[in-house]
Amino acid sequence: MATVLGVLSSPGATADALHGLRDAGFEDLDAFSPVPSHEIEHALDRGPSRVRGWTLVGALTGVFLGYLMTIWMANDWQLVVGGKPFSSIPAYTVIAFELTILFGGVLTVIGLVVHGLMLTDSKAGAYRPSFSGDEFGCLVSCSNEQIPRVQELLNGVGCKEVRVVES
Amino acid sequence: MAATPEQLPETADQYNEDILSVLRPPTPLYVIAVLACAGLVGAAFAALLVQTYWGLGTTGLMHPVMWGVYITTFVFWVGIAHAGTLISAILFLFRATWRNAINRGAEAMTVFAVITAGLFPLIHIGRLWKFYFMLPYPNQRGLWTNFKSPLEWDVFAVNTYMTISILFFIVGLIPDMAAARDRVTDWRRHLYAALALGWRGTAEQWRHHSRAVLHLSGLATPLVLSVHSVVSWDFAMSVVPGWHTTIFAPYFVAGAIFSGMAMVITVLVPVRKAFHLEPYIRDVHFDNMGKFIVLTSTIVGYAYGVEYFMAWYSANPYEQMSFWHRAFGDYWWATWIMIICNVVVPLPLWIKKVRLHIPTVWVMTIFINIGMWFERYVIITTGLAHDYDPAAWGYYTPSWVEMTILLGSFGWFFMLFLIFLRMFPIIAIQEEKELFYHRQVAGGTH
Repeated sequence: MATVLGVLSSPGATADALHGLRDAGFEDLDAFSPVPSHEIEHALDRGPSRVRGWTLVGALTGVFLGYLMTIWMANDWQLVVGGKPFSSIPAYTVIAFELTILFGGVLTVIGLVVHGLMLTDSKAGAYRPSFSGDEFGCLVSCSNEQIPRVQELLNGVGCKEVRVVES
Repeated sequence: MAATPEQLPETADQYNEDILSVLRPPTPLYVIAVLACAGLVGAAFAALLVQTYWGLGTTGLMHPVMWGVYITTFVFWVGIAHAGTLISAILFLFRATWRNAINRGAEAMTVFAVITAGLFPLIHIGRLWKFYFMLPYPNQRGLWTNFKSPLEWDVFAVNTYMTISILFFIVGLIPDMAAARDRVTDWRRHLYAALALGWRGTAEQWRHHSRAVLHLSGLATPLVLSVHSVVSWDFAMSVVPGWHTTIFAPYFVAGAIFSGMAMVITVLVPVRKAFHLEPYIRDVHFDNMGKFIVLTSTIVGYAYGVEYFMAWYSANPYEQMSFWHRAFGDYWWATWIMIICNVVVPLPLWIKKVRLHIPTVWVMTIFINIGMWFERYVIITTGLAHDYDPAAWGYYTPSWVEMTILLGSFGWFFMLFLIFLRMFPIIAIQEEKELFYHRQVAGGTH
């Protein structure tokens, strides 16, 4: 397998390049970008991020633990005050709300670290510092025989530079 | 002078160049400013040592006023912490792109303000080492904390707010840390590389990052509204005249945004000037923040009026006495400072010309911050000083220990901000560049 990198100067051009490569049958694509871009995201069409699942699980865990903790602690040592119920749900809703946000937020960040930073191949070998400046990268994985075709396609969409990162 | 659109950077790389240029080695003036702030922190620490050794008798706190400058300052800093999340999260959800240039500075302010605020309940309890009494932890007889107490809610609210603010701040910083890593050549490169967490800006990374920012914004939006509501319930849930009112939550939230926006302007005006950031932090930002100040000042002014109206309309003699005492009693001076600074001083901001005259706006924001500190002082102190029973009335005068710690909190806040300023990009580079590319697509001027 080989990896070919095309360097472009705008998110629109990068998205066009990705569309062209997909139309030509190349599916193993990625991009470097200094900014988030909906155009590039749509061109790669990878669907929604799995981070959303982490947020949901965190928020549900928070609300459950919030009520469980407060109700259990109130009943572990029961304070008898004027015949009032030991568990005061309206008061405990504040704690449950805060823990919903806390666990939801913390698990969102853990989800980002897991999916966006740990489990993702950051393509460090193809990276160049200008990708955090004003350049965009279009990365194609292909067989060695397909390299000339990919180079031709990338040059055709106006890449400033095309190079084979590994082969 | 209003910045013209032509002053905006011509290339995307210029954003990195200009914004990261703030990270240059410090000037003597900067070092003096940091040392002056550190001096205030040192003085406050010495005062805290005196208080810790001799006890709370070194403060002015005495029956009936057992909450004073410390709780006032706690509420003040929690309020200041609100602007960052408003700008970062709420305006993000509303797609108000003008926020991009100021959100990083406001987020940093939020983090430092909430850290500062968190110190005050600990200082207030006197015996710092007993802070864990507030954690959900049973005592030696197995009794748990009381979750029906608003003070306990506050522990959860402020700690959640601090955690989420810090996470939100760090997540937003990751791509900019990568930009700094790729440009800086000295020892800080290793720091930025570590903080960038291996960020390369791949489409896959951006996909997860954008979703995480969206979710954090969604979570932080109700949180920011809840935090100051919970803080207000520290007072409103009690039966003290002047405190026991249902308008406290929205009144406190509006006041928090009011003071937070004012502090953002107070801080960003000199930063813009010192680091020549006029092409980024433009007059339109101050204009928009001025509008927020006008709106929230009006809400706060309305709340002041409603409090007096309800005291009269309720025909409750205790409530009436409490509010009469506020305006014309022992603390009349504090009340009128509050009203003048928070309601009268911002009135000229209705006029666009005033909002665009930055020196005037900057001076106004300082008065607003003074006014908002006095608002909390008035609520807390006058309520306790004039309770139901005339035999229990009193007058509270803060001691030098309290005033030194109050000043030290400002030193602490500004010291953290100054250090941040030289270590991290004060403007979110990637968000500003995103706008640059949008403008290119739209075919507008740069």
